[in-house]
Amino acid sequence: MKPMLSTELNTPEVVVEKAKIEVRNLNFYYGQSKALKDINLSLPERSVTAFIGPSGCGKSTLLRVLNRIYELYPKQSAEGQVLLDGKNILDRSQDLNLLRTKIGMVFQKPTPFPMSIYENIAFGVRLYEKISKSEMDGRVEQALKRAALWTEVKDKLNASGLSLSGGQQQRLCIARTVAVKPEVILLDEPASALDPLSTAKIEELIDELQADYTIVIVTHNMQQAARVSKQTAFMYLGELVEFDRTEKIFTSPREKRTQDYITGRFG
Amino acid sequence: MAEHTVAAFDEDLGQISRLISDMGDLAGSMVGGATKALLNSDNALAQRVVSDDAIMDARQRELDDRAITLIAKRQPMADDLRHVVGSIRMAGDLERIGDLAKNIAKRVGTVGLSATPRDLSHSIDAMAQLVLIQVQGVVEEYAAGDAAALAKLRNDDERIDVKYTSVFRELLTYMMEDPRNITACTHLLFCAKNLERIGDHVTNIAENAYYVLTGTQLPANRPKQDETAMSAPAA
Repeated sequence: MKPMLSTELNTPEVVVEKAKIEVRNLNFYYGQSKALKDINLSLPERSVTAFIGPSGCGKSTLLRVLNRIYELYPKQSAEGQVLLDGKNILDRSQDLNLLRTKIGMVFQKPTPFPMSIYENIAFGVRLYEKISKSEMDGRVEQALKRAALWTEVKDKLNASGLSLSGGQQQRLCIARTVAVKPEVILLDEPASALDPLSTAKIEELIDELQADYTIVIVTHNMQQAARVSKQTAFMYLGELVEFDRTEKIFTSPREKRTQDYITGRFG
Repeated sequence: MAEHTVAAFDEDLGQISRLISDMGDLAGSMVGGATKALLNSDNALAQRVVSDDAIMDARQRELDDRAITLIAKRQPMADDLRHVVGSIRMAGDLERIGDLAKNIAKRVGTVGLSATPRDLSHSIDAMAQLVLIQVQGVVEEYAAGDAAALAKLRNDDERIDVKYTSVFRELLTYMMEDPRNITACTHLLFCAKNLERIGDHVTNIAENAYYVLTGTQLPANRPKQDETAMSAPAA
């Protein structure tokens, strides 16, 4: 017998059939300051997970741990485990270049390289693969199509990436990420600097990409988290307060702190 | 509950709560007035109930407008979202209660012209009291935020259903005893049915209010019985 909707809504935890990423007992430090406190979390494969919480809660920090991009900065360290398909990526032996092909990242501000649209995508691919010109053409086209940008730029592939609008630049960055065939895509406030139409295009894109990729999005826009994600993690002061199915978080969260935050009662 | 960072959000939600409370009070007064008018053949009171229905309709429209504007402006989440959506639904049920009370009031004149209405409508009095307690109770318990009381109140509707069955049988007996009672008893039967429907709307309100307060739904199945079908006279 099919369970009732009410029963489904009351199921307290996210059921992860296959975890792509498992975070175990993760602590993170900026120098002496502890920014993440004993985080445990399983991110399901081919699904969108949103991290929400007020500024300084640790959601971007957690995202930055997932591809070890924090190591670009001094005095930042992580303890615990982050398992990608069961393998700990925090292990010293982890090849960082390989890790970042598997886990791509898109930032708040579009960051196209100061080169042509074509080269913006080809550049990353060339770092990892030696392919012919015709294969590269195909790869660039495929990536731009995947990022829903192809029809807008196909006649000006040699134009500078910087000549595009903000929304187009952000989709170019997503195309660039997709071109190296990652398994996970991390999005750090990908639409916060975009107008509503560009935001809608990015959200539509996220919806399409989740069929093939595991996606993690950090956003301050709660409606956006509610729209695009299947599960949502609410973080506060470096702790994971609540992790549940997105419908549950936004209709009847278990924790008072979550409720206060998403209803605008904080502070 | 803590206040919202945006104070106007609290004011908007407060206005919706006040409208639900006003509509609840008006529903109670209309059901009480319609029953009293029926029992006392009080046409003036019946007329007041009929005109109150226009006020009820206006309140519901105002609540709809405010709720839709609030959703558009503030995008409520979690308990706020449940509050707004729940209020829209509760207002719909309260408006229907107003309609049903008006239906009872409109029959007052017709029943009054028939023979011995007072004796015949005696059993309806007891049923109406049960319904009135439910209508007043649901609004009070929601305002008090008492989810357990709402769950109990929802189950108490069964008592109204049982009473309706007995009123049905009683009126049927009067009609079989003396065909001159048929006109009055038919009207009274419609009134009893209206009261029974009011009880059902109270049940809906209790279920909605419970969901608004707790975020969980009450189980779908509630004990319910309608034995009127069994009371049909043998051919």
